[in-house]
Amino acid sequence: MAAIDVSGVTKQFGGVTALQNLDLTVEDGEVFGFLGPNGAGKSTTIDILLDHVRPTAGSARVFGMDAQDQSVSIRERTGVLPEGYGPLGQMTGRTHVEFALEAKGAGGDPDALLERVGITGAADRRAVDYSKGMKQRLMLAMALAGDPELLILDEPTTGLDPNGARTMRKIVQEEADRGATVFFSSHILEQVEAVCDRVGILNQGHLAAVDTIDGLREAAGATGQVRVTMDAVPDGLIETIEGLDGVNSVSITDGTLVAGCENPAKGAVVHHCYEAGTVEDVETSEASLEDLFVSYTGGGA
Amino acid sequence: MSWSAVAKKDFTDALRSRAIWAISVVFILLSVVIAYVYGSFSADQLGTEEVTAEGLVFFLASNITLFVSITALVIAYKSIAGERESGSLKILLSLPHTRRDVLLGKVLGRGAVLAIPVVVALAIGAVVGSAMLGEVAAQALLALLVVSLVFTFAYVSVIVGLSAITGSTTRASMLTIGFFVLFEFLWGIVSIGIVWASNGFSLPQSTAAYPDWIFVVNQVPPSGAYTTFLYALVPGASGNAADIDAFYATPWLGAVVLLFWLVVPAALGYWRFSKADL
Repeated sequence: MAAIDVSGVTKQFGGVTALQNLDLTVEDGEVFGFLGPNGAGKSTTIDILLDHVRPTAGSARVFGMDAQDQSVSIRERTGVLPEGYGPLGQMTGRTHVEFALEAKGAGGDPDALLERVGITGAADRRAVDYSKGMKQRLMLAMALAGDPELLILDEPTTGLDPNGARTMRKIVQEEADRGATVFFSSHILEQVEAVCDRVGILNQGHLAAVDTIDGLREAAGATGQVRVTMDAVPDGLIETIEGLDGVNSVSITDGTLVAGCENPAKGAVVHHCYEAGTVEDVETSEASLEDLFVSYTGGGA
Repeated sequence: MSWSAVAKKDFTDALRSRAIWAISVVFILLSVVIAYVYGSFSADQLGTEEVTAEGLVFFLASNITLFVSITALVIAYKSIAGERESGSLKILLSLPHTRRDVLLGKVLGRGAVLAIPVVVALAIGAVVGSAMLGEVAAQALLALLVVSLVFTFAYVSVIVGLSAITGSTTRASMLTIGFFVLFEFLWGIVSIGIVWASNGFSLPQSTAAYPDWIFVVNQVPPSGAYTTFLYALVPGASGNAADIDAFYATPWLGAVVLLFWLVVPAALGYWRFSKADL
């Protein structure tokens, strides 16, 4: 059974379309990375799964239950680390975790959870006084309360230092080994790359790609980049190169011509540059997953 | 019983607020002063008919309406709207709580916070006043306690309900202050305006000639209903309901109106809140 099944979901806020006919399936027990730039609709998707936001059209199901009609049953079995959650209460870190355990109707030792996320020393301090990273760790401890079947982590590494990010990845791995499904959103590829079985790339409210990390790597490996630095880039060269077979994109920055192309086309690109002017330097590279991510999400950088 | 967990959290959170403690101390001191003043002076000096233990109850009650209405507004106007705006609500609603649990929990949690100074002030005021008067009106004081608690929760319920209507604290403050101004300051004018309009846009010669049903209109503000309800429970007190001969002219109307304020705005707020995108 699919842990998460989103079908045909559209969400409009006023005149703005946040999600456009989104279909998404996350299988039971997998670690799914939900990637996309800020504003792509990741949090809106998660809000719909938790019934914080209602879809304009389409439906979302979690554990086969309707996200709107059976939200409480869903949330009883789900641990959530929401994004942009605002200030915590006046209570101590431990009391916060106890509150989560009580809400889940779960037993369990709050101190053990605090130790797992690495804030044992701050258990008796008020959570409002926590640093950003400590708050994030506390929220993770609350999400882990009651050993949920599904973990929904929205940008979980926000505010974490490298150590914290490592702890987060380790915990995601442990939870997956325990059999939990993990739905992990991020705008940073490296973070999902390390832990996720499959990745979905969301861009402007629709799913641009869904594949395993290996599948994405294969797709990325087929293309690459040539960077040719010239003393001057002659007129018409861009058009010539754009016209070559296997060339996907051409741009010029600071006298360097950058062509995104399939690997066999690289020789032709360099050849045309030599014919057109004085070449000072040539670099070629294989595309990384990062480039692929950028190409799917149209990041101009 | 998920709402009780929310109420408990809200209650413990609010108890840590120094502002609430400060207002409460002022209010409790004021109650003592009022009780002392009532016990120290003669009826002529106070401008009342006679100084009785029952009279003390109404003297203390006047302090309650002002304190409860203002403090309820201060501690509850952001209760839902503020948490929506800041995102704190996402923490509560990521756990298996319903929106109804949240609203109910806020009303009960903040109501309980406000109930503490009310009970303390009444207790101390009653002891001081009764000691000075040398008599205890136990039934009247008990009535005052019960009616004051109903009033406290009704007021908090109104403010939380209004706060649930919107996701912006600015709009929540306008709604709640608007409520306060309309029902606590302007209602006398509204009432006269209704008489004027219903009388063919002119006022009757004297207030005695006002229609009987204006009694109902005058009970609409929560604090008016509070005092009227008190008349129903304090032995020997009649209020102005006795002057009118109609089925609705009973001090129990105050109880009905308080029940209305306890339920209706919160239900309205819930209706809007339950459909809102957070």
